[in-house]
Amino acid sequence: MTALDQSGKTTARFTVRPALLVPIAAVGFAALIGLGLIALIGVPVHDAIAAFIDGTVGSAYSIAASINRSIAFALVGFGFVLANRANLTNVGGEGQIAVGGIAATAVALDGHVSGLPLGLAFILPMLAGVIAGAVWGAIAAIMKIKAGTNEVISTLLLSFIGVWLLYWCVQSPALLRKPMTSSATLPESLEIPDETKLPLLTGDYSFPLHIGLPIAIVIAVVIAVVLSKTILGLRLRAVGLNPVAANRAGISYARTVIFALASAGGLGGLAGALMLLGEQYTLKDGFSSGYGFDGLVAGLLARGSVTGVIAAALLFGFMRSGGINMEMVAEVPTALVVVIQGLIVITLAGAALFIERWERK
Amino acid sequence: MSMTSGTQTASVEPLLSLEAITKRFGSFAALSDVSLELRPGEIHCILGENGAGKSTLCNLIFGVHRPDSGAMRFRGVPFQPSGPADALSHGIAMVHQHFSLVPDMTVVDNVLLGRERGVLNRKQCARQLEKLAIDYGLPLDPYAKIEDLSVGERQRVEIVKCLIRDPSLFVLDEPTAVLLPDEIAALLDVCRRVASSGRAVVLVTHKLAEIKKIADRVTVLRGGRVVATSATPAADIDALVRAMIQGNVEALDSSAASVLGLAPVQRARRDRSTTTKTEALQIDGLTVRDSQGVTRLDNFTLTVDRGEIVGVAGVEGNGQSELTAVLSGMMTATGGRIHLGEAELTGLAPKQITAAGIGIVPEDRHAVGCVTGMSLAENIYLNRLDEFTRFGFLKRTALQREAAAMMQRFDVRARGPAATFFSLSGGNQQKAVLAREITLPNLTCLVAAQPTRGLDVGAVAAVYDHIRAASTRGVAILLVSSELDELLSVADRIVVLYRGRIMGACAADPARREEIGAMMAGHAQDHVQGNLHA
Repeated sequence: MTALDQSGKTTARFTVRPALLVPIAAVGFAALIGLGLIALIGVPVHDAIAAFIDGTVGSAYSIAASINRSIAFALVGFGFVLANRANLTNVGGEGQIAVGGIAATAVALDGHVSGLPLGLAFILPMLAGVIAGAVWGAIAAIMKIKAGTNEVISTLLLSFIGVWLLYWCVQSPALLRKPMTSSATLPESLEIPDETKLPLLTGDYSFPLHIGLPIAIVIAVVIAVVLSKTILGLRLRAVGLNPVAANRAGISYARTVIFALASAGGLGGLAGALMLLGEQYTLKDGFSSGYGFDGLVAGLLARGSVTGVIAAALLFGFMRSGGINMEMVAEVPTALVVVIQGLIVITLAGAALFIERWERK
Repeated sequence: MSMTSGTQTASVEPLLSLEAITKRFGSFAALSDVSLELRPGEIHCILGENGAGKSTLCNLIFGVHRPDSGAMRFRGVPFQPSGPADALSHGIAMVHQHFSLVPDMTVVDNVLLGRERGVLNRKQCARQLEKLAIDYGLPLDPYAKIEDLSVGERQRVEIVKCLIRDPSLFVLDEPTAVLLPDEIAALLDVCRRVASSGRAVVLVTHKLAEIKKIADRVTVLRGGRVVATSATPAADIDALVRAMIQGNVEALDSSAASVLGLAPVQRARRDRSTTTKTEALQIDGLTVRDSQGVTRLDNFTLTVDRGEIVGVAGVEGNGQSELTAVLSGMMTATGGRIHLGEAELTGLAPKQITAAGIGIVPEDRHAVGCVTGMSLAENIYLNRLDEFTRFGFLKRTALQREAAAMMQRFDVRARGPAATFFSLSGGNQQKAVLAREITLPNLTCLVAAQPTRGLDVGAVAAVYDHIRAASTRGVAILLVSSELDELLSVADRIVVLYRGRIMGACAADPARREEIGAMMAGHAQDHVQGNLHA
């Protein structure tokens, strides 16, 4: 990206590294195509843009909702990056969110929990979500160690089990479905008690940012430190790069794989718990829909970087919120936002290749 | 520095000429300004240490890489092969260092692979193979499966695959590394026959003995440059070596020199009769069967005393890999026991084996010995990273400081302890692995498998020095190697492995080379001795 001036000499007009410019250009390019598609289906483009902006940053509420959404994406993305350091690909975020949500709801609805002091009323359901997700991840790890099952397959299939487990839980009155008072009673759980709901940072429902934000920030810092500064991070990397040599050097393959996948699963479970305890309050079928996969894509795009996950998660979080508003106000199908998101992923991946070649020069 | 230029062949039109070829990989110049002529009917040896650019040169000729500058001419016409297929169609064939055969298929099918379109004509191909067998002395059963063939026979298949295309230029990249002594002689004979039919043969090697025997002309590469060309190598072999290693031949470690083929092998003169024997490593009836039920290691029994160096000789693939894998805890034996002193190590995990005091230099440096994507410092302390932590945090400064000290002690050359391991040369990588294993605090036994493979002379000498020093300190050493010269000059005692069984044992005496060679080929020791003495 150097420009030729009249004398024919190259002048370095851009001193900014393309690593920063290229992703922005990629997002812009995808957005342009999206707008073109919107125009094609006959929706006035400025209406759509207005609705999109309104849905993302138009109000305090929409900003907080977008950030809350981003938190769930980011947690799944962090888990992906952590496991990926050990060369493991966790695509089971969807199911891990589902079981995390189920466990959090079950514990929150337990009569004893809501009476607990010191915030334990919401901490316990949250931990239950983490544990459930971790168990979900650990199952895939054990299958890999004992039988060599590829974790891509096992985590994906475990996702289906998790999602259908959720369906079963909200359909069966014996499990979490609220008592049926009429045949029209929805297949969902009771609303969780107020004490078990996550405290809002401002205490104001018009800006519903909840305590999940500081939790996610702490987790981001911890993971960044673990990956770059601790022996644990080094072991993950050694196992990821060469499991045979790592094993010869006394680094346990089994323990590392279990740790990596259980952590990734636990973070997915936490995402599910936060969604349930912080926003939705009742467990519904499909409450996790697409979050696990968006988080996975955030992790993929970040290419190992925690900051990258945060950036991608925020991008997707705001886009989803804007997209939902576009559908409601401007009657643009949300599917289009998903298409644009897909375009962004592809252009960003292409851009990454471009940056690599650029920097090799 | 150019020595005698060939006077009798100078008038011959060259088949392939390279003019001022330069090839860079990133900022690293693998070849700089290399000019070379290959003439029909000659055997042209390319000599050089590892990393001198020999393989890059072959790959340029074969169209795998393209030069950054300079030109090639083939039969006088500019030649820019777009890839191996293009080079092949011009009549250039190459046998690579690593075989590319499908083990499950027959010789004929492997030869036909990639050649035929439509219906396979196996019969015709088999007839062609028989003709080649007679013409060049390459006997092969066309319908044998590759997996049933010995390494030497497999190489014959690779050669036949090339010859059946009737190439005018035939390139062999380090073809003798995997062969038995008499197989090497047979291969050189084949090269001579191929050349005498008017083809040009390029033989890449780092063994001078072969060059002495066969070369018409020699080109010596060092650091990507041509440092010498000569017509008659035998005339000034010392000059060639000097050109190759840029050093004094006399100052060379005698073992390293003998492995290179420079000097006759000298017995390691170590009198061990007065030292008291303490058994360190005891291997008792070790047996390994693979998943198909094939016995890979058969009742292997051996004791290595403290301070003793025992060599395990044998052609590769005769159970050596299984032996080291079991000793390092990477594989579970089907039967047998391992003791180190009083402690039983049978079936222990790698971590416990390291803790017990066994150091392992694995034969496959990259797969087992190191994590190439991590730093040199992390690799040197890969099995002792726990020593550099506080509350789980890695003390990176301390790690790098200690690693820097190790680099100094073992002469590991790199940009620094933080350099990525794969940026190191093979020799320095091996020195780093050796440093890690040989500095285990309670080292009582060192198992080194093919420790000098692919290393240059300087690194080879360094590896021997460290192994000898360890043995002087009382460490029991098991040296597994397919280089008989290496074992004869470093070990005290040699056992020979053939198809997983010990064929015999004897002192590492160069005078018994023939006996050992015969055992490597599968003849029982008493039988061999009977023949030799008859």
